[in-house]
Amino acid sequence: MYYYSLGNNDETLMYIYLPIAEQPIHTLAILGVGAFLGLIMGLVGVGGGFLLTPIMMFLGIPPPVAVASVANQLVAPSVSGVLSHWKRSNVDFKMGTVLLVGGVVGSSIGVLLFNFLGKIGQLDFVIKSSYVIFLTLIGSLMFAESLRLILRTRKGKVSRGKLHQHNWLHGLPFKIRFRKSKLYISILLPILIGVIVGILAALMGIGGGFIIVPAMIYLLGMPTSLVVGTSLFQIIFVAANTTILQASQNQTVDIVLATILLLGSVIGVQIGSRFTNILKGEYLRLILSSIIIIVSLKLLVDLITVPSDLFSVIISR
Amino acid sequence: MNFFFHINVIFLVLFLTSNTYAQNQIVADLSQENVKISTDFLGAKILLFGAYDGKKGDDIIVIVTGPKGLVTVQKKEKVLGVWVNTRKVNYINAPKYLSISSNRKIEDILNQKTQKISEIGVDNLNIRMQPGIKVENEKHWRQALTRNMLKSNLWSINENSVILNKDALFRSFLELPSNVITGQFEVKILHYRNSKLVSQQINSINVSKSGISAEIYNIAQNYSTLYGIFAVFLAVLVGWGSNLIFRKV
Repeated sequence: MYYYSLGNNDETLMYIYLPIAEQPIHTLAILGVGAFLGLIMGLVGVGGGFLLTPIMMFLGIPPPVAVASVANQLVAPSVSGVLSHWKRSNVDFKMGTVLLVGGVVGSSIGVLLFNFLGKIGQLDFVIKSSYVIFLTLIGSLMFAESLRLILRTRKGKVSRGKLHQHNWLHGLPFKIRFRKSKLYISILLPILIGVIVGILAALMGIGGGFIIVPAMIYLLGMPTSLVVGTSLFQIIFVAANTTILQASQNQTVDIVLATILLLGSVIGVQIGSRFTNILKGEYLRLILSSIIIIVSLKLLVDLITVPSDLFSVIISR
Repeated sequence: MNFFFHINVIFLVLFLTSNTYAQNQIVADLSQENVKISTDFLGAKILLFGAYDGKKGDDIIVIVTGPKGLVTVQKKEKVLGVWVNTRKVNYINAPKYLSISSNRKIEDILNQKTQKISEIGVDNLNIRMQPGIKVENEKHWRQALTRNMLKSNLWSINENSVILNKDALFRSFLELPSNVITGQFEVKILHYRNSKLVSQQINSINVSKSGISAEIYNIAQNYSTLYGIFAVFLAVLVGWGSNLIFRKV
């Protein structure tokens, strides 16, 4: 029969229909976003998820699908990252394992919470407001720190970083020795950190690097050289657990979206990591933190301005 | 393809002009009865065409109704400075797709009362709330449903989109947006003369997922854990592979 279709010119060929998000999306745009985020990850060492999920939401992907698919894509750059850190012997596997036990428990709780919030219709709100809180927090901390570093190096004073100090948290029971990290601390602390990061990871579609890295440095007192590799190691398992649970509980993992994103991001990461020595870290962090602050402001404005329509509809599939 | 289309039209015309043709009939066909949502789906445009035994001043209204089911309307309220969904109303038999097309303004074809009785027009559909829900200002919720469905292009009113030719032939394009829901769609063609229904015909369109897109969707629904494990496996493979490739570069 006479066949009319809108999909027959060059422009429309660039679109791909996402089977779970149930909408078409521009392939190159998503590939580009993935590559850009990968580049940031490679350059700065953190990033990815906490910017990727809001960008997906701005592009019109339903927040539940965005969160679950970004968790899936995060597995790839994390595996890639761990392998290169492992080669340089920058991973504390014992600490990583303890953290990931907490992380797996936490992300399981997170997915259940996600499911529950979806049922009562508050999921979008919780995801967006968590982003506002964490992005503002991390954006301004990063901004302040990189600015301080830039100003300090301009003055020519470079102070040596502090050695780790013991705090009361280290004195909790069930002490265990982490040879690689040169620590003798309570096992409860890394588990607790893992649980908290796991919950946030599952709820927000992030690896949690930007929370766990400072926690490992300031709360656990781990050597900075080991922090990134070890956090990536635990992120693999948290992201993998989140993906499998989101897929089985909520059917929100869009494998097509995740695959396009991760192809972009693994390329971006490799390019980014080759430029780390050329570009100055502080300036990069300053730029990144500015982006983060802008994203969180956009989300905040969406939450506090009067919506153009107070009513919205949800169509059950 | 083109050839068959023309053959069809020729048959229609022959059918109309033949002596055996009964009075007050309408016949119609669609350029496409099965819409497949595959990876390149961006929406569909279907040609509805046919013939009717018309007189000057006759009107045609085409109503396409998609699957009916649960549609929830949520209302936001300001809580501690931010806008949060606080209340909701479930409509249990709302059409998830609706398009009303006509050759001229519906209000010029039918008066308000007839529209209401024949359930023509977005405000005249018999859409029920979930039993037991009590809200003040029921009308507001119903208007919100209509407004949002129209905004999402899942509902549409296309006046002047049915083209009549010599009081005998008609055609109209039916557009399904890319966010269309799968299922059976009813295409009802109504022929009016002086606001009286003369004849009608019902066709149907089946919208389904197909190809790799359908496979992925079905696997994600039916083998969800396995699907999740596979998604992780794929990501690990790409991560590991990229490391191998780029190490040598």
